[in-house]
Amino acid sequence: MKLGDWLDERLSTRQLARAFFDRRIPKAVGWLHTLGSATLFLLLVQILTGIFLSFYYVPSAEQAYGSVEYITKEVPFGSYVRGLHRWSASLVIIFAVLHLLRVFFTGAYKYPREASWVVGVLLLGVIFAFGFTGYLLPWDQKAYWATVVGTHIAETAPGIGDLVARLLKGGPDVGVKTLGRFYAFHALFLPTILILLVALHLFMVIRQGIAPPPVGRLAVIRKDEYRERYEESKAEGHTFLEHMVRDGMVALALLVLASWLALRYGAPLEEIADPTTTTYVPRPEWYFYFLFELLWLFPGQWTVVATFWIPTLGFLFLLLLPFLDRGPERSPRLRPVALAIGSGVVAGVLFLTYQGATAPAPPGRASVETARLSPELRKGREVYEAQGCAACHMIAGEGGAAGPDLSKIGSVRDLDWLKRFIKDPQAVKPGSPMPDSKELPEESLSAMAQYLVSLK
Amino acid sequence: MSNGTSEVMPLPPSRRRFITVALGAISGAIAAILGVPLAGFFALPAVRRRDFDWAEVGLVEQFKSGEISLAILKPLKRPVWPEEAPKMAVFVSRKADGSFEIFHSHCTHVGCPINWNPGAQRFFSPCHGGVFDQDGRVLAGPPPRPLDRHEWKVERGVLYAGPIYLVNDRLERVGHYHA
Repeated sequence: MKLGDWLDERLSTRQLARAFFDRRIPKAVGWLHTLGSATLFLLLVQILTGIFLSFYYVPSAEQAYGSVEYITKEVPFGSYVRGLHRWSASLVIIFAVLHLLRVFFTGAYKYPREASWVVGVLLLGVIFAFGFTGYLLPWDQKAYWATVVGTHIAETAPGIGDLVARLLKGGPDVGVKTLGRFYAFHALFLPTILILLVALHLFMVIRQGIAPPPVGRLAVIRKDEYRERYEESKAEGHTFLEHMVRDGMVALALLVLASWLALRYGAPLEEIADPTTTTYVPRPEWYFYFLFELLWLFPGQWTVVATFWIPTLGFLFLLLLPFLDRGPERSPRLRPVALAIGSGVVAGVLFLTYQGATAPAPPGRASVETARLSPELRKGREVYEAQGCAACHMIAGEGGAAGPDLSKIGSVRDLDWLKRFIKDPQAVKPGSPMPDSKELPEESLSAMAQYLVSLK
Repeated sequence: MSNGTSEVMPLPPSRRRFITVALGAISGAIAAILGVPLAGFFALPAVRRRDFDWAEVGLVEQFKSGEISLAILKPLKRPVWPEEAPKMAVFVSRKADGSFEIFHSHCTHVGCPINWNPGAQRFFSPCHGGVFDQDGRVLAGPPPRPLDRHEWKVERGVLYAGPIYLVNDRLERVGHYHA
């Protein structure tokens, strides 16, 4: 190795390499410790595919959609590169969150790694910002309307909402300038911040060493005994180079998985953005489902709780966690409160994400097979459709989820009750959120009620 | 390549303080010279108050009395690129007395595109079950306020839409949308 000798003579590179690759890491470091390097690997895939996408992508309202279509349909490997960027983005979110959970449940954010945790949470924020700015870029319907909804949500922030929304949009409406701004954020500003924060995060990990898994004598570590215990643990541990085999295997497996997803499912491209549509149903990417579903729980004047207070306070809580929880216990078994809160939040987010993923078909377009219905029932079904009931109610899996599912309403309510309730819900059930139908002709009301009673 | 202590020379405290202040001042000057113009460059075009450009909605006679219909706003002048407004849809309600109401097409909850159902005489938002009546009042669902509306005027038989404003539950005007 002539070159190695040449460099070593001038820069002492061998010493650096030994200190990095041959350093001992704590005992019991295993597969769970590959989550961070997996996230890093996926971020590198994002940077690489992102740079290549930018060779063809044009950030202008007239050309963005066409350029993405061109990448997907015309450029050799274009569909793969774009698909990889899309699927690896989803995997980044999953692995960043899993990495955070590993650190949380093993108490690795405690002394002396509080600063690593803070930088890590900021990185998570940057990753979500990448997601939010990234899906405007194809300028399709999903892109446009998700951004309209996203900036409306920003607008609800007390006091500063209008300013924040305007700074995001570049003006009063989502338009040409929004696309330029989001492109600059996504492809220039955020990557710069990302690289700086990742460098800082890695510097801290290498400087302090990998956090010891909270087993045995490491389940509880007070500040003054930390150094001694950590050295003890390292004395029984392996080298980082050996651990890198695990990191490498996970990275390769993830690349294969992301490639398979990219080839199998690609990246969707809907119709070109149309600000004048009245039939489009905006849906966010899956990793924002939990926020979108949270909106159901906080109607009317409470909307700001879901759009601002919960996300903001949640993020602040996460950021400040190491300063709020300073006990010496690191094993999750000795931290029942942290375990309960952490598991509760995870369960809540998973539940809301599941709700979002299984949300019914877009409301207002319900079209049940009417051919099998008798003429009277068909008339009732037509009234049901014309009155827009499906906007809030579901029948046989089609319709909205705001009101009760009516698929089996006939086995719960009788004809007379349904007629009275539909006509004037307040009179039957005070406080019912359903709008009245006092102006609906008696004949139509009867027909619809008969149709509903037939649903058993 | 050695990091021996011989390479570290502590300065006398007063000199150290002077140098710290000097470096701070230099950094501050660099940050200000670069930062102020760049911050203005980024933020000012976004927050600049502009008179809302009135837009043409259509001929008055194309809107039937007592009906609500969708219209696409046509900007009066085609501005230079950066100020170009996106195409916007509005719902025009022509009342029996001949007056108009022009509704903004975004739901007041989180901005999903509403649609008008003439059979039910109601506006529906597809995202979280918001329902509005023909005057834009909230009938059901989570929207916190009635539909936002445009100012309007009729000149020589043509209907124009102006700035967007907000109304409260009694449909009284409470403020500009883009204040």
